[in-house]
Amino acid sequence: MPTCTIDGRQVEFKPGENLVDAAKHAGISIPVFCYHPGLTVVAQCRMCAVEVQGIKKIQTACSTKAADGMVVSTTSEAAKQARQSVMEFLLINHPLDCPICDRSGDCDLQDNSYGHGGAYMRYTEERRTYMDLDMGPVIKKNMNRCIHCTRCIRFGAEIAGVREMVALQRSNNTEITTLDGRPLETDYAGNYADICPTGSLTLKDFRFKKRAWMVKKTQTVCEGCSKCCSIDLHWDGNTVYRTLPRENQAVNKWWICDEGRFNFHYIHDENRIIAPATRKGSAMEEKSWSEAVSSARDALKGKKVEILVGSDLTLEEAKMVQAFCRDMFPGAPISHFGTPGIKTSKDDGDADKILKRKSKTSNLHGMEKLGIQPFSALSKDAAALVFRGGRAVVPDLGSALVVGVGVFLKPQAAKFEAVLPGASFAEKDGTIINSAGMEQKLMRAVLPPGESRQMSEILMMLSRCGKGAGVA
Amino acid sequence: MSNAVASGETLYIQHFGNEEARSLEYYLKQMKGYTALKKAFGMKVEAIVEEMKASNLRGRGGAGFPTGTKWGFIPKESPKPKYLVCNADESEPGTFKDRDIMRYTPHLLIEGMVIGGYTIGAHIGYIYIRGEYTREAKLLQAAIDEAYAKGYLGKNIQGSGFTFDLTVHRGAGAYICGEETGLLNSLEGKRGEPRVKPPFPAQAGAFGGPTIVNNVETLAAVPHIINRGGKWFSSLGAVEKSGGTRLFCVSGHVKKPGLYELPSGGVTLRQLIYDYCGGILGDKKLKAVIPGGSSAPVLTPDEIDVVLDIEPLMKIGSMLGSAGIMVVSEDYCLVRLIWRITKFYDHESCGQCTPCREGCRWMKDILWRIENGNGRETDLPLLLDIANNINGKTLCALGDAAAGPVSSFVRKFKADFEAHIRGKRCPHAP
Repeated sequence: MPTCTIDGRQVEFKPGENLVDAAKHAGISIPVFCYHPGLTVVAQCRMCAVEVQGIKKIQTACSTKAADGMVVSTTSEAAKQARQSVMEFLLINHPLDCPICDRSGDCDLQDNSYGHGGAYMRYTEERRTYMDLDMGPVIKKNMNRCIHCTRCIRFGAEIAGVREMVALQRSNNTEITTLDGRPLETDYAGNYADICPTGSLTLKDFRFKKRAWMVKKTQTVCEGCSKCCSIDLHWDGNTVYRTLPRENQAVNKWWICDEGRFNFHYIHDENRIIAPATRKGSAMEEKSWSEAVSSARDALKGKKVEILVGSDLTLEEAKMVQAFCRDMFPGAPISHFGTPGIKTSKDDGDADKILKRKSKTSNLHGMEKLGIQPFSALSKDAAALVFRGGRAVVPDLGSALVVGVGVFLKPQAAKFEAVLPGASFAEKDGTIINSAGMEQKLMRAVLPPGESRQMSEILMMLSRCGKGAGVA
Repeated sequence: MSNAVASGETLYIQHFGNEEARSLEYYLKQMKGYTALKKAFGMKVEAIVEEMKASNLRGRGGAGFPTGTKWGFIPKESPKPKYLVCNADESEPGTFKDRDIMRYTPHLLIEGMVIGGYTIGAHIGYIYIRGEYTREAKLLQAAIDEAYAKGYLGKNIQGSGFTFDLTVHRGAGAYICGEETGLLNSLEGKRGEPRVKPPFPAQAGAFGGPTIVNNVETLAAVPHIINRGGKWFSSLGAVEKSGGTRLFCVSGHVKKPGLYELPSGGVTLRQLIYDYCGGILGDKKLKAVIPGGSSAPVLTPDEIDVVLDIEPLMKIGSMLGSAGIMVVSEDYCLVRLIWRITKFYDHESCGQCTPCREGCRWMKDILWRIENGNGRETDLPLLLDIANNINGKTLCALGDAAAGPVSSFVRKFKADFEAHIRGKRCPHAP
């Protein structure tokens, strides 16, 4: 591999790589605002100023390709001075309202100012201000904080495929806004907030809910569709606050869709059944685990039982269910359900040109690997034992007797005989197989709320009941 | 406008003011029109490039890059179409030479473009003309229509088998569209913002194809060079590296402002102001000269013995630029002048890159405070520092164009600024 020298260190790079990325290999971080590895290079913030031996002018590392034998300094006086001056220019019109800014603590402008800016402000003129229009339900804009990096414009045009963010006016009056002041159209709008290097575009869903440095982060996988994008769940206490995409070049690059981003909200839904419940007349009644498990067993006793597993379960859960049923309901058919109209992986496909897949559950391909057949219909007079992770759409089971295990909202289980509440994707570890056949790990971020239990515990209780043993 | 014809051979100026000159008939009869084109069709492309190199013609738009060398950059084989673009944006304040070429000798430009297209292998040409030149755009279009009708443009030009289509594209009024990549973006229908270089236009220019962008005056010189030879053209210049004559646009406080055609490097600034332009208006004292359009650093009266050419001006820290010479007498406030120039650059900054977008406004605001008696002693080092932080650190040359004048005014006319700051008013104000 060719090598160049950055700050005295020999750095290997792939041909075509720019200096920002090459420096990263050596652990040297060159500050950037407009540069994003997933977007075109525009070299307009000028923050990544470096000195290249043999070139008199300061160069921007983002637009300079590393070359064999190139000698680069990120710490020369000229480079440091250039970066400091860019920081000064960027801050003269920035409101410096960090104490009330939701981005504070999670802000490239703050970080780079801390690392490369000067300590004093020489600007005494009036600051530039803008009026903001509403940008729709996802993003809140504050143009006064904008540093004109144009990442959002390029994200819209190059990734989301919608030229909805534009630069209006010119010079110091340049305003970054939506075309004609319309609300954002893309269903990938949350990424605008992710790539914004300052507090100009923030997520309406998250702002003022939690300070960015107060959350814990868990690296896991989105369960929104069979793409299975890599995500970070940000949580504190037992509450998930937001989902951020995690870079994974093999799956989602740097992005996620809004559906996946906001999917986690159902785990905190006030209608989620988080205590075991059984039917009493037309309503469901909360019960202790032992009572509910006994009722469930009694309800299924003597019936022709068919097993339905949601394709939103993990491989481990599905295997446990298979083993459980072999033991408890020998010969009972097991089938999977998930997205209406998407029965097998052949029905699954790209739902758009970016990330989304047609299968709205994460583990359809894993279910097939375990040999579980798609659900078509219950046979006559059969009762159903339904296992569900939280996203799979329960098919119409008519007037059959149904016992539900897993995550259900109250309306979804309105006709069930019993519900044994389980853990959602954020509350368990496990493995899923995405549409490309790639195994990925779900990691637990929070604990199952209320009385909900992990699948292993529920199955154990059910099987003990089946053999006449008492339950905890 | 009083056009003075200099001694020696002139290529354009004898036709300026003559409205008949713009017709094809006049061009064919009186100016040996389209004979260079016929000659070029009989030449090898390499021979034309050699002739251009021998002519020492240097770009007349401001950068002064040798035209023959530029044409040589175009790759022979290209999967994408090649383009020849004429930069007729002429947006540099103080410059008005291209306007008269388009007004009075449009066929000279058209012929130059066909030869240029033939040489670099482009079949499509654009004249990107500034939006304010409505009359010139119409005149150009009329000349192009005439040329199409008589077979000097279009398919199989004069039986040569060479096809060249020429389109006039009007700008919408932005200084930055005179910067060649800003121009190409605007031509493509995008925002007029300069592009990151490399790639340079010769590699990937208009619509991604290899593109040459030349100034009007540059292209209008091409027929002369082909007709009479690169050596002859080179000998018109008074210095070795700069061939041909040059159009100087003189404005400001001189007795005879206007266009002057003089040998490249043939006169000093003093000769131009005092001998050709008749000296300063009202026989006042000279205060300052901007030698190359408003982006050129200012010169003091002590510096005007400099030869008007690219290298001598560069040596004393200024530039010839587009040869728009602005002369300022002692009656005018220089702080107000540099404020007005900076206001222009602030207004015309495209807003892409940080130092130019933020710095130009900041400098303008400080200069306005000083001019209005609200300046502070610390403003002068601050102005120099801001200018230094812009200079050489921006995406395109507009930042340099804004920073150079400010730092040169502050350094060379410090006393004027201090008089404003200490007197808390503009000494020139009533």
